[in-house]
Amino acid sequence: MSKPVLIVGGGPAGLSAAHALASVGQSVVMVEKEDRLGGAPILSGYAKLIPSGEWARDAIGSMVARVEQNALVEARLNCQVNEFSGAPGKFQAQLSDGSKIEAGATILTTGFTHFDSINKPEWGFGTYDDVVTTTQVEQMISTGGGVRCPSDGRKPERVAILLCVGSRDRQIGREWCSKVCCTVSANLAMEIREELPDCHVYIYYMDIRTYGLYEDLYYWKSQEEFRVKYIKARIAEVTSDGQRLIVKGEDTLVKRPITIPFDMVVHAIGMDPNVDNMKLGAIFDVDLESHGHIGRGSNYSALATTSRAGVFVAGAATGPETIDDSISQGQAAAMAALATLNQNIGAA
Amino acid sequence: MNQASAAIGDPLSESPAVAREELEAVFADIQSHPLYDHELNGCLNCGICTATCPSAHYYDYSPREIVQLLWTENLEGIHDAMQEKIWACAQCYTCAARCPFGNSPGGLVMIMREAAIKHGMESAKEVLRPFSRVMLKVISTGNQLAPNMINAEHFPDWGPHISKVDAPLTVLRKAIPMPTLHTLETAWEVNLKTSLELYVIWEESGVLDQLETMDENLFDVITDIMEEKRDDYDDWLEDQEDEDGDDDD
Amino acid sequence: MDDNHNDQERFTGHGAEWRNAGLNEDQANAATSWVEAKVDRRAMMVNKERVEDVRDIMWQLEKDGEIIVHRVDEQHEPEMVKTLYGWDKKIPTNQLWHHKSCGQCGNIPGYPTSLLWLQNMLGTRYLDETDQTSCTAWNYHGSGIGNVVSLASVFLRNFHQAYVSAKAQGLPEGYYYPLVHCGTSFGNYKEMRGFLLHSAELREQVKKILAKLGRLVDGKLLIPEEIVHYSEWLHVSRQRIKEHQTIDSSNIRATVHPACHVYKMVPEDAIYDDAIMGGNRLAVTTALMQEMGAQVIDYSTWYDCCGFGFRHIISEREFTRSYAIDRKIRVAVEEARADVMIGHDTGCITTLDKNQWIGKAVGKGYELPVMADCQYAALMCGAHPYKIVQLHWHASPFENLMDKLGMDWRAAKQEFETYLGEVEAGRVETLYDPKNAITSGPGFNA
Repeated sequence: MSKPVLIVGGGPAGLSAAHALASVGQSVVMVEKEDRLGGAPILSGYAKLIPSGEWARDAIGSMVARVEQNALVEARLNCQVNEFSGAPGKFQAQLSDGSKIEAGATILTTGFTHFDSINKPEWGFGTYDDVVTTTQVEQMISTGGGVRCPSDGRKPERVAILLCVGSRDRQIGREWCSKVCCTVSANLAMEIREELPDCHVYIYYMDIRTYGLYEDLYYWKSQEEFRVKYIKARIAEVTSDGQRLIVKGEDTLVKRPITIPFDMVVHAIGMDPNVDNMKLGAIFDVDLESHGHIGRGSNYSALATTSRAGVFVAGAATGPETIDDSISQGQAAAMAALATLNQNIGAA
Repeated sequence: MNQASAAIGDPLSESPAVAREELEAVFADIQSHPLYDHELNGCLNCGICTATCPSAHYYDYSPREIVQLLWTENLEGIHDAMQEKIWACAQCYTCAARCPFGNSPGGLVMIMREAAIKHGMESAKEVLRPFSRVMLKVISTGNQLAPNMINAEHFPDWGPHISKVDAPLTVLRKAIPMPTLHTLETAWEVNLKTSLELYVIWEESGVLDQLETMDENLFDVITDIMEEKRDDYDDWLEDQEDEDGDDDD
Repeated sequence: MDDNHNDQERFTGHGAEWRNAGLNEDQANAATSWVEAKVDRRAMMVNKERVEDVRDIMWQLEKDGEIIVHRVDEQHEPEMVKTLYGWDKKIPTNQLWHHKSCGQCGNIPGYPTSLLWLQNMLGTRYLDETDQTSCTAWNYHGSGIGNVVSLASVFLRNFHQAYVSAKAQGLPEGYYYPLVHCGTSFGNYKEMRGFLLHSAELREQVKKILAKLGRLVDGKLLIPEEIVHYSEWLHVSRQRIKEHQTIDSSNIRATVHPACHVYKMVPEDAIYDDAIMGGNRLAVTTALMQEMGAQVIDYSTWYDCCGFGFRHIISEREFTRSYAIDRKIRVAVEEARADVMIGHDTGCITTLDKNQWIGKAVGKGYELPVMADCQYAALMCGAHPYKIVQLHWHASPFENLMDKLGMDWRAAKQEFETYLGEVEAGRVETLYDPKNAITSGPGFNA
């Protein structure tokens, strides 16, 4: 009987890896620092997922249940890895709950951190109640409370969604594209229009990256069926005249600066590297790539590798990633971990 | 070879086309400016610069357009923008503070203004004409502005009184409790030695050459003034030596 | 589960597929708590792996023996502050060399006099001398005459003079630390410092010129550790100033106009403080006004520039006054119902103050007193409105503000007019001993 695989992080990628390993009879210890499994979609209360349209708590919830019910997976909640040593086939981990475990291989599915809009003060978050994030609007929808202006609970008549908040921005050292926000915002815009048919929803963008099949399913559909307006303009500042929010942009089509009032401004927040990545990199002795995510060892010959043999990585820990790709990568990492175990059978 | 001119040329314009060589020479000067690569990295065409630009509200001016012209090396467009548009920029640098690509459109405008001056463009001369008093002041004294330049005649739109207490300017200035401000010709008293040090900087950094290209008269006036100042300073130095000599006796 | 909860606003999203997520309130709160907890803002801030801090290059160049850094050290009694990305900046509070502003001294002289008066009040040692030039950046940004080499040379010449100035008083080099009055000088010097630190070629060119002027230290360029604006000194001194406040300003609605060249140029060096507007806006001036007890009112064009434009104030005045009135003054009056607009830069105060008069001609007769933060602070501490704060140079109706503060400006004006008689008779009062003002060259008496 081989040693278990240590999976760090219980989000979509980790859940997928755990399930894959358990389904071929491999035992798993899953360490999760929060008090429940599910990762960002559960912890942040996402509404409907793309592209299935399923509610996050159903879709990801079923993944959690599947793992929780599997005897081969031992989940340690409220727990973190403090020390990590050894070699493939014989890793030792010291956990924050005081216990020690041995593992044949390790998969880091430590995910990302939502960009904190407070780092972009000129866009008004933290200054004005009615400037919110996509995650907060997801919350309004998933709790059933509906989309309302936090300042006074009124239904917004005009909503602006600003793309690339915390993405593609050298001013704050976040040059990457967060990959999911365009599609998420198109989806969110449709949900807002569904709930509030009289509400005008504008999306301000630099480029629309609803790649692959999302082009017509989200970008086109949001226009054709839901009359969402897209304006190619990056907003300069969000202020308030005491009544409404004031948004300053350039209508790049007519090449003139414009000032537009809104009831609610939504930041389509990007995906930062996990704030703990420096620490994780040191504990697991794996290199980070230049943006601060966990670096991939190889892009082609071996999937899911890091700079350290026997330590693998999957999902948004490697960079902005969608939920379904995170799930795929979890499976790839499981396969890679299994291979390591096989090569090291009998390691002391 | 003439793709740019074919694309941009205005068939209705009666003004003679600018020679290709001249367009290239102007752009070469812009591109070789030591800060060019620092101020321009590319362009996402997002418009945040124009969104936040004060001049874009009042002029046919868009920092995004300036960046695009430079990035795409649209030589005719660049030359055309240098005739008027670049002088609309208010130099607040809000564009630079906002650009997600780390460009400085305001800084690029300065590079273009420097090039317009180097090439003695008529537009630059015209724009600089009202500036000659200031130029004379700052180059010959090291002080941009003088109390006696601020009067109702030059600034009629600032109201009939420069001071709400009616008294001669000399007295009002003496009533400012900083001894360095008891001046009329400069905003503060600048030591002669200091003005001459600054003049060396103007000479050595090529600023006087810029001035000569732009306004030969002003250049002559300034060089005359500064020669006199240098003589005065030399006289003072000689006096110092004499005094030292006296002390030694 | 409350089924009626949502009857009227029932989501029809994805048709029959729709089901209520059913998170209870606690669950929902837990899910968004990461947003509402405001985390530790600074822990999320931009670190130096992400954005470069030129001061790191500076220390390396000093280590390599290429430059010498004029340090803010213990003798300058520094206070530490946090800048935009949570980095540290050292603000000296004593032994300051006043780098004056041509626009302030020429146009609004109550600006520097208020500052010096406050420093006298706090017992701050300083030097105000004649061996300094304008930064020449106003001219450069307005006309295009000038270049990086000239601007960088002027910067280092003036800062070198600050470094050696104390010698005239028999004190060591580095004794005084430059305090820059003008926002444009401040921004320009920071840009120049960055360019110098990045470019060996520029350093070489500037070094040649400074050598000719005898302005090198041990044959090397002298670079300041920090470039400090007076508003930053005022910011870190605000509690000490508060101790001297004699006038209540709690009924004053103040709007702040932040200066572009102070916080948009080299933005990573501008001061932000979590306790001041949640750390979301520039801290200087706002913090001072709050310390003085005034109500600082937000307004929708807070981020807008004043309309100064460098050349526009001289030759495109229609732009300048339209922008100043329409985008700033009108908004502060109509939207914020402000009693005063407070700034911290030369060009902005001039523009916003002087351009109100003409507004009447086009039916835009907004009346809004405009002054600098240090002028307001000096007023609050009992400085004479005319003799010290020199408000008579302001075109805007500061009298309205004084009425609201319960200050008798008519009596003060009369006192000042009487004082002018003294001045004419040669009895001039000054804030410091005039002989300190000349440190070398013609007029110097050792």
